[in-house]
Amino acid sequence: MNAARTVFSDARYVILSCAIFAPMLAGLLLLGEYVFVEPYFVSHLPPGSELGLVLIVALCALSALVIPMNVYRIVALKSSRQRMGGGVLGSVVGAAAGACGCGPVGFAVISTFGTAGATATAFLTNYELPIRLAAIAVLAVSYVATARSLRTECRIGQR
Amino acid sequence: MKAAWIGVGVAAVIGIAAVAALSGIEPQEARVYGEISTENGSPILGDPEAPVTIIEFGDYQCHGCHNWFLNTKPLITRDYIETGKANLIFVDLAILGQDSWTAAQASHCAGDQDMFWEYHDAVYNNHEDTIDGGWASKENLVRFAGEIGLDADEFKWCLDSNKYADRVRSNTNEGKSNGISATPGFFIVGKDGQSDLITGAQPYITFKHFLDEMS
Repeated sequence: MNAARTVFSDARYVILSCAIFAPMLAGLLLLGEYVFVEPYFVSHLPPGSELGLVLIVALCALSALVIPMNVYRIVALKSSRQRMGGGVLGSVVGAAAGACGCGPVGFAVISTFGTAGATATAFLTNYELPIRLAAIAVLAVSYVATARSLRTECRIGQR
Repeated sequence: MKAAWIGVGVAAVIGIAAVAALSGIEPQEARVYGEISTENGSPILGDPEAPVTIIEFGDYQCHGCHNWFLNTKPLITRDYIETGKANLIFVDLAILGQDSWTAAQASHCAGDQDMFWEYHDAVYNNHEDTIDGGWASKENLVRFAGEIGLDADEFKWCLDSNKYADRVRSNTNEGKSNGISATPGFFIVGKDGQSDLITGAQPYITFKHFLDEMS
């Protein structure tokens, strides 16, 4: 927790965190058809979709936590970029799961890539929840590793 | 000589009718609403003379279409279709997988026995959130037909013959050419041919706005 406090005591990382969270959440809510902006702005939570919504919010929150902490490591502590991969990978994979299906993204992927696109869309749709859970697990592990790394590197830096 | 020409004419008519029957495109009247042709779509649900027509482009394997079927369609049916204010036509936009094609053809096979809408409902009531995961396999589609009282042998023959493949292809192309970019996609068409597009499994309130305005 101290590592996160250290990072987010700098306003620039708070802004970065918000810049990740807000567009990612808005995009996933639109793609998941929880929110519509055309022809009118309207939100909608069909019965049975609650878990999907919770996972989307968790994914966005973790992405907004882990990615700025990794950027801090790289920029402020001049660490290697090696551990950045987990956070970005988790965010991208988690966002991709469920983004396809029968929405505009899935439609475009199928229209562009034909059978290969349909296969990829089917995979991402069929395994949406497990993929999102795995992405959240990757982000959680990435958070723990980054926080531990920050504590160690900050301690060394203070000596 | 005259008799020979009559013979040629009769043969031509029989030939055209046979091709139409084999291709699954029935020579029915052109049902065009605005710029959208629904002549290969479902039978009309509700009053054909209703002032507003809702045209749904959908895929039986689409999760959003299933959501709309469960959450929005019952309210529209109660408030607009059963009251004669609107009618509904379902047009296949089978893009998600092989089973989407089979399910769409199956619905038209049910239509041969005058049970398109009953079968349509049965497929959605058995929907699972997987694409080509087996729930809409040919065997299951035949089972759904039996469960609602269709002649299973006739239905299976129809499905095996791919009689309606061209019809489903034609419907899918109709959706794409009219700018549908996701399923379900809806055109709400008024009597004057003016239409509005609604994309996605939107809630009842969105449809109510358009339907009240047009009816």
